Parts: sequence; C-alpha cells; structure tokens
Amino acid sequence: MILNKIVEALNGRSDLVGWTVRHLASQGAQVYAVPEQIESQRLVNVERYKIDVLRQTSDANGKQAVGSGDVTLLPGEDIDTAIEKAVLTAGLVANPVYTLPAPSALPEVLLVDTDLQKDPSTVVKDMVEHIRAVASENRGVHLTATECFGEIHTTHLINSHGIDAEQESTQIHVEFVLHGQRGESDVETFTEMDRRCVGDLNLEDEIEQRARHTLDLFETTTPPSWQGPVVLRNEVLAMFMAGDTLHGGVLQTLGSAASKYAKTSPWEIGKSVFRGDVKGDPLTVWANRCIPFGTNSNRFDEEGLSAQRVALIRENELVAFAANQRYANYLDLPATGAFGGVELPPGPMEAAALITEPYVEIIQFSWFNPDLITGDFATEIRLGYLVQNGVRKPFRGGQLVGNYLDALADVRWSAETGFFGNYLGPHVARFNDLKIVG
Amino acid sequence: MTDLKLPPAMAGLRPALGEIVTQGHEQAPYFAVLLSSKHGLIITIDNREERVIERPPSAGTVLSAFDGQTIYERAVSGFDRGEVQKTARELVRGRSFAKYTPPAEYESQRSGDFAPSMQIDPADLSIREKLDRCRELHGRIKGRDPRIVNVQVRYIEAGEHAVFASHSADLAQRLQRLNLFVLVIVAGEDGQVQYDWRSKSGGAGWEVLNFTDEEIQSLVDSAVALLGAERIEPGEYQLIAAPGVSGTICHESFGHGVETDMFLKQRARAAHFIDRTVGSPLVSIFDDPSQPGGFGSYFFDDEGRLAAPTQIVEEGVFRRGITDLYSATALHIPRSANGRRQDYSRKAYARMSNTYFGAGTSSLDEMLAQVEHGIYLDKWSSGMEDPQGWGIQVTCHYGHEIKGGRITDRVFAPIGISGYVPDVLQSITAVGREWRLEAGNCGKGHKEIVPVASGGPHLLLKARLG
Repeated sequence: MILNKIVEALNGRSDLVGWTVRHLASQGAQVYAVPEQIESQRLVNVERYKIDVLRQTSDANGKQAVGSGDVTLLPGEDIDTAIEKAVLTAGLVANPVYTLPAPSALPEVLLVDTDLQKDPSTVVKDMVEHIRAVASENRGVHLTATECFGEIHTTHLINSHGIDAEQESTQIHVEFVLHGQRGESDVETFTEMDRRCVGDLNLEDEIEQRARHTLDLFETTTPPSWQGPVVLRNEVLAMFMAGDTLHGGVLQTLGSAASKYAKTSPWEIGKSVFRGDVKGDPLTVWANRCIPFGTNSNRFDEEGLSAQRVALIRENELVAFAANQRYANYLDLPATGAFGGVELPPGPMEAAALITEPYVEIIQFSWFNPDLITGDFATEIRLGYLVQNGVRKPFRGGQLVGNYLDALADVRWSAETGFFGNYLGPHVARFNDLKIVG
Repeated sequence: MTDLKLPPAMAGLRPALGEIVTQGHEQAPYFAVLLSSKHGLIITIDNREERVIERPPSAGTVLSAFDGQTIYERAVSGFDRGEVQKTARELVRGRSFAKYTPPAEYESQRSGDFAPSMQIDPADLSIREKLDRCRELHGRIKGRDPRIVNVQVRYIEAGEHAVFASHSADLAQRLQRLNLFVLVIVAGEDGQVQYDWRSKSGGAGWEVLNFTDEEIQSLVDSAVALLGAERIEPGEYQLIAAPGVSGTICHESFGHGVETDMFLKQRARAAHFIDRTVGSPLVSIFDDPSQPGGFGSYFFDDEGRLAAPTQIVEEGVFRRGITDLYSATALHIPRSANGRRQDYSRKAYARMSNTYFGAGTSSLDEMLAQVEHGIYLDKWSSGMEDPQGWGIQVTCHYGHEIKGGRITDRVFAPIGISGYVPDVLQSITAVGREWRLEAGNCGKGHKEIVPVASGGPHLLLKARLG
C-alpha cells in the first residue's frame, strides 16, 4: 500500500520532529440538466496523499523554532522525491515551536448517506428526476437548470504522534433554477443546497416555496426605504449565521485563534463580543463538528483533532476561540480543531410571535458577504417582502446595510429550530433595527 | 521548440493520446481528451509567522464524448496510460453516438505548443529566493506607522499545464499566474481594526510584482484613513469608478450576463437583447483570453478552442455572448474560446477570461472637473451577478468624497453599488483613457472558481450607493 510506504519513508527520516499523512480519496457522480435534456453526465475519481512535515529550525537570533512543509503525492509519483521537497521547504522557515496533536477518542458522528455510499450514480440521477417531477407540479414556473453532485469521501490520517484514524462521509450538492414568463417579463429563482444526506434536502417543500417566490417576482415593486424589524428564516438565515463556502463567515473569522494571533480579531475571552449594549436575546454559539450530517462535521479534522462541540460564545461573552494545534500552542489555549458548523440554542419566543407586523422579510440576497473583519455589510436584495396592514408586498432591489455584530446585538430568536447543513438553530430571527436603502 | 515544462507523467501520456482519440472517435464523432495539471505555491509572511505551503494541486484526465444531446465524461486522477485507456473504452461502450455530426467549425485542424513570455520565470527562482523577496517587501512596510498591528505579504504562484487532443486538435500549453498581495492591518485607540490591501498580478513572471515606495506609503495611509471612515448616506450619486471598480461592474453585468450557458438555461436577459442598445454609446465591452499578460489569459480553452477576443458590446449595442461547446451547439451560435473548468473534476461552462470596458478619451482630471459633489470609488471588494434580473451588486472597500471637482480626504466604507444594469450603463457620460486589468477569481454562483481579470478605464456615471 502506498500509504504504508509513505509512513515507512517518513519514519526513516531523522530530520523531522513530526509529520502527518492523509490518504484522500473521493468518487462521485454529477448530472447537469438543461430545460429539455441532460446536458452532461460525469463520473469522477480523485485520489491523493497529502504529506505535512515539521522540522526543527532556528530563527534569526538562533532561538529554537520549527518550519513546516507540505506536498501532495499522486498515485505513481515518487515518494522520496516528494518528501524531500516538503522537508527542504520546512527548512526555510522559522516559526515559534508548536506540536502535532496526539491520539484521542474519536466520536461517532453521522456523516454517511448509505444509499449514496452504495450507488452515487443512481442516487444523483434519481434526485434530478425527482426535482423535475416536483417542479412540473408547480404551475406557472418551469425548471430550466439542475445540477446534482453526489460524492463519497474517505480519509485515512496517520501522524508521528500515534494518530491513525479513518473516516468516510458523503456530500450532496444541489442547484436548481425555477423560471417564470409572462409576456416579455422573465423571472427566476436560483437555489443551491449542500447536505450530507438526501433525506435532509426536503426537496418538495423547498421547490414549492421557491415556486411561490418565483411567481411573486412578477409582482415586485421598488424597494422600500426602511429602518426597523427585518426577519430572516431558514436557508437565508443559515447563510447569514454560518456564511458560505466561498466567503466564510464573521463568527468563524473573529472566533478563530488564527485571527486572534494575527491581530485581526479584537475579541477577548471573558468579554462581550459586541461593541455596545445588547438589546435583543443574548447570543450563545457553539462551533460544532458533531452535528449529525452537518456539512462541516467530521470525526477528526485535517490535523487529526477529534470532533468537539465547543462553546464559543455564551450569553454574549467569548468563551473560547476555535484553535487548531498550532494556534492553540501559540496562544496557550485548548486545541479545539476546525470550526465545524454553527449551532445556536432555541430562542425564547415562538416563531409566530416574531413575525408581527410591520416588518420586512428578506428571502434572498444577491450575496450576503459582510466584511469578515469589520462586520460591515451592504448587500443587494433579490427578493423581499414588506409586510404591513395585513398585506405581504414583494419587492426586489435595494440594499440591506449595517454591521453584522450590531445586528446580532438586537435580535430575537425563535424557539423552533432547524438544520440547514452548516447551521443548526432557530429557524426564524427578527432583527429589530436594520436598514434597507431603496 | 516551446519548452512547456510539462509534468513528467503528463508528458509521458501525451504520445499515447493519438491512439486513445482514434479509438474513441470510432464510436463517438466528438471525442476529446484533456490532461490538466494545476499546482503552485503560497508564501505568507506576517509580523508573527511565515508559511510556505503548496497550493492545493490537481492533476487528472478528462475524457469527453458528445452525442449532440449530452456530453458524457469520465474524470480520473493522474495520467496513467492504462487507466486512461480503460476509462476511454468504458466511456463509449454501449452508447450510440452515430447520429451526431459535429459542425465543421469544431473540426478545423489546430496544433501547437504554447507558453507565456516571462522575463523572470518563477520556475527559475528557488523557493528560498521567493521567500526572501517576500521578506524584503514585508520589511519595507511593517514599521511605517505605529498604528499598524500586522502586515501580511502573500505570494500566490499558480502554474497550469494542459494538453488537449481530439481527432482535429493537438494542443499543449503552460500558463503561469502570479499574485503578490499586501495587507496592512491597523488598529485605532478604541480597538477598532481596519485594513487595506494592494496587489500586483499577471499571467506573467516576477517582473510584474514590484511595489514602489510610493505605492507602499499610499497603502499604509489608506489603511490608517479607514479608521476614520464613515458610512455613506444612501442615495443616488454621480461617481467615478476606478479601473478595478469599472472592471467589476463590467464583469457582473455584461460578463456573467452573456455567458451563453445562461442563455440556454433561460437565465440571461441579454439573450433577448442581441443587437439592441444596452448602454451609453461610450460603452464597449470585450472578453479576451489572448490579452498578453492577463491574469485570465490562456492560449486555448479547456475544450480546445484557440483564444481570441470577443466584442460583447459595441458602442452601447449588445452584439454577442461568450460560449462553451455545449451551449454554442444547442443554440446554434458561433463558438468563442470560453469553455473553462475549475479543474479536471468539474465540467466546462461558458466562463469569462479577461473582461473589460474599452478605453475612452478622457483624463481623470477632466472627469473630476464634471463632478461638483460625488464619490470616487477607489477599490472593489466583491460582486455578484444577476443575469436574469439585471440587478447589480458591487461592494467597494471604500470610496472618497469628490467636492468641487477634487477628491477630498473624507472616506466612506464600505460602499455598495446597486441598480439596474442598463440604467447604470446608460448613465456613463465619460470614459477614461487610463486602462488596466486587475486579477480576480470568479465563481459560477458560489462554486466553479476560475482565475480571471476584469478592468477598464475610469468611468463617470450615476448609481445608487449605500
């Protein structure tokens, strides 16, 4: 086995103070559909070995330091040449000393959809057909594009401190576009979802709801100028709280030990994460890698640190930073590992009590991408509703402007919760004082 | 003979592609093989640590067969001859492709090996030399102001090799993209953290990565100035967009909006506007993967189409979109060289390369003189497309007040530009003559990331800011 040969070669090096090797393999199926036909069907296999080495070096003052280097090896490539490259790189840099994680008990975390694991091609094709069938039942809209990916990922991690761990997970990505046309007027909604388990997609409800939103786009007016309650729910609330894969999120950035070490996070353990008074419900957040079928869940992370549910913020005060081994050593903190998903406790009020008029509900942003350091945002609204006097009036355009942390300092959370891949928590939030500029 | 520096395994497989293509072509009239290798290096230096890490590499083979309705693909890791031959046989086995005849346009014979022109090829520098250059730059910045709490220098080197083979094409290319990014983080007395950045980049060698002392001081000054930034009073403003901001407007409006796979999916309003006016007569928009030194440049796309410029908008009139193989076939429209993949594990879509507004004739001073009260948008930070709704979202890291034809010290951050694309483009009343491209990474929605450049000249226009 290649992995054994790599481990043997790494054990044979006397110039390393530590190493980690991961065998990463994935196989998956992808189906892309356009209005009348299947555009593309793909089967994809990926396999590689990621090697990280740690070497003792010294800094400019002769003080003991460490350097790290990494290399990726594809099957068939020369092991010794690759390791030598990583070791040479490690010898070039001198950083404060840190260690690698030691073995610890790994929790059982639900990560695998067993149907997908057995036959990704069939599951993905079935998902596409299911989306087509459900969409066709919604009058006034039609499905113009669908993309479905189903993947199985396996990781086998071994390090020089004795970790030898394996995990398997499945991953699903679904996108679909619902289009409506009346005369010369075209409207659409675009939906994308990531989950580990097909059962968590709830496609019927999602498509029905998106069909309604699509039709409402025909009725939109210009955006209101508004300062007051703004309601977010479900997927859009999940994106607000947990960010996205492209951009990340404010909580993950400011709550990371790496940001603290780089002095980009002003947060201090034991102090409020807010810069002013908290007018809404107190904020409690867990960084949780144990959420069943969470898209950021795992049994162990890239370093081999076991999954945890870390209390990050409790009642507005920072309790811990999410720290990998390196920054945990640097800041003398417990090593928690990768951030994982965002979890919030249920709020004190029923959702129905949070949607009292008047309020604005935002259904979709163009892209909610707050500044990850300052938290400031100015983001265009694709679809929103102004709800007052018993009328729910759709609008599009305008921007929601404000600051992420100020928004969280004045919000009420619903008692009902939901799971949205990378977010587990209240499924309705009422931000009491946000501004929309028309 | 062009020295492509192909990875050995890729170079080893290339001679066998003729046979693999011939066998595949017996079953499928359109059969192609793409060998793709992406690799690179990231060096990060800040006040507290240094890192040299490999840029996550990918290397694999894509086998494609098209029956005129569906593109069937298999993507496998690496370049093992036996594995690729086996996968090629599996791909076409049991499928009927006979009824499809590819258009003659796709069958034109083309061959060549291509590599960019570089004065200082990063392949000729050791990692130590690159690290030392980054350290030297970091040293020039870190002590310039007591409010600086950290300075990060990040060097990103992205190398790419591709071989494309079909019965009419035998192409190979090496691409090299470099980006040197400097981030200055400052803190105010109240603990407020702000930051600004500059980057140098190109599809070129180290010769494009030099920072002058003036540029460095300007960066430090702007980061410090952000500690006093205000939120802008929302409303419609006369504004001047710096070239990078112009490029982002271009990218999000008539870049994404004219990717013809979006036409096929009925996602692009531009499909109904061919040969119709969509902007001021001062507006011309291009996509050009053959732009020398462009961050989004290449010699041929991932579907073997040789790079050439496309004029998208001509003097305010929308002329044509940018295409991939599938959408061009389905829509019966001419190809352009814009079929791009994130990597071998993903399909090709119609994607931008270097997308920009054409230059005009005005100087910046002439444009400023036309603004009594407005905003100079210095720097973009992100954008998002809306090809169907033609809404626009461009977020700027900051902008400055223009008063009486002069840029003042009053700074606003962040600033969001929003509006309806044709209204924004119609409002352009002056186009600058200074022109440049800026590097970026572009997603299709929130995935399928490819390197691109966007740019243009300064633009004088009206839009809503918030």
